[in-house]
Amino acid sequence: MTTTSVSPLAAGSPQSVRREAWRVSLSGVRLVAALELRQRVRSTKWKWALASVAVLIGGVTVLVWAATRAFGAEDSGAPGDITFGLVVFFVLFLGLVVSPTLSATSINGDVRDGTMAPLQATALSAADIVLGKLLASWAASLAFLAVALPFIVIAYFDGRMPALAMLTVMLVLAGELLVVCAIGLGWSALTARTSASAVLTYTTVAVLVAVLPIIFGLLSVTFMDEVTVTSSSREYVYVDDAPQGAGQPDGPRAGIPDDAQRDEQGNYYVCRDYTYTTSVPRTDRLWWLLAVNPYVIVSDSAPSPRLSEDYYFADVGILSGIKLAVRGARVGPTTFADDCDNQLTYEEQQRRDRIDSLPAVWPWGLAVQALLAAGGVVLGVRRLSVPYGTLPTGSRVA
Amino acid sequence: MSDVTTTTPALEAHGVRRAFGAVQAVVHADLSVRPGSVTALIGPNGCGKTTLMLMLAGLLRPDAGDVRVGGLSPTTAPKAARTAVGWMPDVLGTWESLTCRETLVTFARAYGLSPADADARAFSLLERVHLAELAAQPARVLSRGQKQRLSLARALVNDPPVLILDEPASGLDPRSRVELRDLVRELGAEGKAVFVSSHVLAELDEMVDDAIFMSKGVTLGADADAEVARARTRWRLVAVEGDLALALARQSREFAVENVPTGSAAVVSVADDADAAALVAALVGDGIKVARIAPVGSALEQAYLTMETERR
Repeated sequence: MTTTSVSPLAAGSPQSVRREAWRVSLSGVRLVAALELRQRVRSTKWKWALASVAVLIGGVTVLVWAATRAFGAEDSGAPGDITFGLVVFFVLFLGLVVSPTLSATSINGDVRDGTMAPLQATALSAADIVLGKLLASWAASLAFLAVALPFIVIAYFDGRMPALAMLTVMLVLAGELLVVCAIGLGWSALTARTSASAVLTYTTVAVLVAVLPIIFGLLSVTFMDEVTVTSSSREYVYVDDAPQGAGQPDGPRAGIPDDAQRDEQGNYYVCRDYTYTTSVPRTDRLWWLLAVNPYVIVSDSAPSPRLSEDYYFADVGILSGIKLAVRGARVGPTTFADDCDNQLTYEEQQRRDRIDSLPAVWPWGLAVQALLAAGGVVLGVRRLSVPYGTLPTGSRVA
Repeated sequence: MSDVTTTTPALEAHGVRRAFGAVQAVVHADLSVRPGSVTALIGPNGCGKTTLMLMLAGLLRPDAGDVRVGGLSPTTAPKAARTAVGWMPDVLGTWESLTCRETLVTFARAYGLSPADADARAFSLLERVHLAELAAQPARVLSRGQKQRLSLARALVNDPPVLILDEPASGLDPRSRVELRDLVRELGAEGKAVFVSSHVLAELDEMVDDAIFMSKGVTLGADADAEVARARTRWRLVAVEGDLALALARQSREFAVENVPTGSAAVVSVADDADAAALVAALVGDGIKVARIAPVGSALEQAYLTMETERR
């Protein structure tokens, strides 16, 4: 006689009970997601919402395009990148505004409506319910992104970004929406009132987008370090303008130093180094405050157009501009200022090489955001695991 | 062998206790419900009935004591225990934009039924609770009573051996109450263990086999049973002619005379139907013209009211 039985000890241990809440079934997740989407599609003016988003993004795209044309910089190629950057940023902005509304009330709202407990009483695990809800709210945010896609493509063709940038931008935008949905889910698990979770989700987004950059700025100016800067500047040498011999226009002349160079007007100058001390912000210690910013992550992950070697202040567009700024912040204060040579100096070239050799910022930012998202999911599963030990204050089971 | 399985309780609780913060909702609860029987949970508002039912349904962990559903503990085998229960909550939560049929199909799928089985199950349950005509209507158009019936169908969707119904009769019209009573009896006859709470005690009287009284978080055991037993022996006797009091005194029965406009009436202690017949025969022999004899109202209601007054 053979009997297959689970040892009662293994079946009843607290670990196995906790594991039960985490047991994910594909069919369960799909069932909950389908349920959520079906309710949402029927209960909201879904088509109108999408249409108004399309009108909004379309209008902004046209305005941005017209505005960059008004500056008349068609020849530099830069304004096209600005169109792409601004449209992407606007889509991200809308996504950050819309996504919290889709997930921030999904757990406490259902508990309030009394529809959560009967679902918890079924064979579905807490993880099935939470992941299903996350999937549904993400899918709904992706619908908004899909509406924005044509405009991003249009903006792309107006500039000189690498084709890969379109892919990374779409992937990162989708990822950001997932993160915001998961954060909203976490807050809806932690709070009993739907208004509280909505406010907290928007606050979290605001912290990532605006508060941390403000703190970055404040800390930068508050804690400055003294550094010694070597500055190189031109010192012009003027000599009496005697008529030159026809055969030797550039020959050595009396009173001109050997290392003198001539500028475009034919004037002689020498490069002189000066050393002085100044206070500079230590952005290399604070850059991580910017790394978790969704705008920085989108900018940093997009491949840049190749930076020109001969153009010192190359206009690189909005995404690459932010990328360069944040990566530059990581390198730390410059100790060399060159106002003399009309090409990249060795020091500046080295600095640019150092920036290029730094690992990208966006994986760090995305990793931190992934942790936040995972935290949201964990909170959701803990909130919905039955039987309840302690209940969140102000809430009831059913 | 079959004897063992039929006498093993389908639903058990021993010394169960649960507090919410400083509020002790359930202080000490003991109960046992046999398969194929209907047991009522009776008590005033706020006495801990819903909390007790949540613990039995596997949604709330007891602070102390033991709950068993078909021998399984919801604390150590949560999924197995809670899927053995059909739970109808006292709060009516419905997905407003889903139709009745979709709601039941979703729940059937959530219990792991295949799409085809879930469809069939939803259809037969809608028939059973008389909502078939509203199958394609969204839940938001349902009346309170209709939602209540949908909620009952939802509790039955996994065909559970144990049913826990929290105030299933509230909001139902008289016709639906009769149907609910018949349905609960049917479920009991099918071998399910039904545990039901209600405030409509007269209704419960006709559908339950046992009753558990609860007061201030404590289930009342033997005292309550004795009170119900005593209440069941109280019959009202109405005579149109003759000295009823004298005749009853001669029968040496416990009785209390009631004032009525014509004839005479009394509440008298009667053991059962045979005893009632014997009493009528004796009274008629004594020259009393008996008009009616019947049990006094609801035994559960009387027991409940008696106990409430005692505890005040």
